[in-house]
Amino acid sequence: MSAGPLASPPPPVAGSARDDARTLAFLADLSQALAVSIDLDRTLSAAVRRIAGFMHSQAASLFLLDANRGMLECRVCVGPVEMTGLRIALGEGIVGRAVVEDECQIVTDAATDPRVWRGGDEQSGFVTRSLLCVPLRTASGPIGALEIINRDDGGVFDADDAEALRLLAAPTALAINNARMAADLVAQQRLRREFELARRMQESLLPAAGGAGFPVTGINLPAFEISGDFYDHFTLPDGRIAFVVGDVSGKGLDAALLMVRAASLLRWAGKDGLAPDVWLARANEELCATSRDGRFVCALVGYCDREARRVHLAGAGFPPVLVDRDGHFEEFLSGGPPLGILVDARFEARDIALDGATLYAYSDGASDVRDAAGRPIGVAGLREFVRRHAALAPEPRLAAILAELRHLKLVDDTTFLVIETPRAGAPEMLFDARIPAEAGCLCDLRAGLRRALDEFGVAADLRDKLVLAVDEACTNIIRHAYGAQSSGTIHLRLCHDAGVLAFELSDDAPPIDPDKVRPKPLGECRAGGLGVAFIDSVMDDWHIEAQPGGRGNRLILHKRLAPRSVT
Amino acid sequence: MNSIQSEPIGEGMLIRLAGEVDLSWSADVRRAILDALRQHRAVGVELSAVEYIDSSGIAALVEGFQNARTSGSRFVLVAVSDAVRAVLELARLDRVFPIVADRSALETAQS
Repeated sequence: MSAGPLASPPPPVAGSARDDARTLAFLADLSQALAVSIDLDRTLSAAVRRIAGFMHSQAASLFLLDANRGMLECRVCVGPVEMTGLRIALGEGIVGRAVVEDECQIVTDAATDPRVWRGGDEQSGFVTRSLLCVPLRTASGPIGALEIINRDDGGVFDADDAEALRLLAAPTALAINNARMAADLVAQQRLRREFELARRMQESLLPAAGGAGFPVTGINLPAFEISGDFYDHFTLPDGRIAFVVGDVSGKGLDAALLMVRAASLLRWAGKDGLAPDVWLARANEELCATSRDGRFVCALVGYCDREARRVHLAGAGFPPVLVDRDGHFEEFLSGGPPLGILVDARFEARDIALDGATLYAYSDGASDVRDAAGRPIGVAGLREFVRRHAALAPEPRLAAILAELRHLKLVDDTTFLVIETPRAGAPEMLFDARIPAEAGCLCDLRAGLRRALDEFGVAADLRDKLVLAVDEACTNIIRHAYGAQSSGTIHLRLCHDAGVLAFELSDDAPPIDPDKVRPKPLGECRAGGLGVAFIDSVMDDWHIEAQPGGRGNRLILHKRLAPRSVT
Repeated sequence: MNSIQSEPIGEGMLIRLAGEVDLSWSADVRRAILDALRQHRAVGVELSAVEYIDSSGIAALVEGFQNARTSGSRFVLVAVSDAVRAVLELARLDRVFPIVADRSALETAQS
């Protein structure tokens, strides 16, 4: 008697018929216990135990489906044989069959039924006589099965038992499904929060735009929420501008976190102004020492001068840079392996003379963009976009190129860095005056400077600060450079060049030691040293240089104008 | 039109500054403040007519403030002009000095 499930139900055995009212009461009880469960594993364990008791069976077990592996795993087991953790293949044994067929399985003579898996009995000495197994059903198919073994009274399971167990399986399946959906939801929300955090962290790593007069401009467009690409630029104490473009292998959160680490590592390794190949080697060593998961970082690092006449760079698994000389393109490859793979990798530095040309560095996401036919646009496609927008200033140009790329199909994070001589007309002389180096002449100088700044359209609050800073510089020249012993003149010139105001103060006093000119911390209630602190906080940068010929100093102060500072 | 005027108020002294306080006469401002503090338990410096002040002028105010604190006298800035306030803010000293809106606050403070 091994026909299909329920095909030939065994004859009813006396006493197997259950009181309907008792069954319903138990069902209600069980449903409630499962519904209010907080710890599903513990509730399930208690539920299976109660089901075993209610069904008058010697043992019961609950199997859950691991759909990815095609396996069923015993999660709860009640009875003399411990089977928790037992894994069986889908379709195997009574449990496997119940799930695959999504049908109840009744076994009345386990010894002869070919469907029965007997491994448990052979190991434990337990004798399985009768089995009843029902699938745990959900809207998206069975998620496991509930099985009971051997009736206490020695009888065999029948159709009434099967119907009762099917009823009890329903709230059990529902509770498991709800718990899973709740867990998925929590995981999704956590993931969303983590992604948002990672995205914000990444954004904060990108440098602020250098502004007018700055030769390096970057842009980054993530293909998804977060990026594996990054770029950076910073000015070294010697005035050179350092730049970095990077592309981390892989996608998703772990790639994003590696990007964050790689970005800070490359900045750290570049602070000392090492040759670009040495800079890469240092970052590579550090990345190799700490990354073991096979991920790597492609990067390009280098320096340029403020006028972007020459670029000194080195690459690690990075696409060749593109140089645009009035529509004629050249490519420069700096071959080296990506960072994070070979501890003693060597890199190759290249020196490129730009002399008015424009250099584009781009991550491979830019040339990987697909055209309408699904083919990568390649470097040829990129050149076309670059040529099309070459007349624009760097920032709008990059935005326009990215808009073209976005119009096609972006498959990877895309990053561009442009290096070119800042576009500017000839420097514009705004003010030129020479005064005797005497305190009594400062008032007139301030008035003249104030007027010049007003004519140029500098907002009043900034104008007053600039006048103060220049006045303080003059005061210091009078008091410290000339001092009581000598006298002479102060020559002030103010130029405007590409959004930057340059104040130049020349004297013919004995050379002073620039290292002795230091600001005191602001907010400190102490007389003296305030003047340099004012200059420091008003100006973007300043320096003192000796005039040729061993006599006289030149103090140069720069103020970059935000677009709104000029009215 | 740079000027220093002193005016007794009750037991105290009000020093009224006008014009552009810079290196050319900030030493005079300093002397006037320190002199007043030697003779009075309360000194106010009125700055409403000051159109410009540099670090040497601020230094004179700082010295007066410290001097008063040491001797247990009262030292306040009165009616600070926008120009002066901007420089005090730049120096991050705007919260260091006691500042009152007008001379009447100085009179009531003494009584």
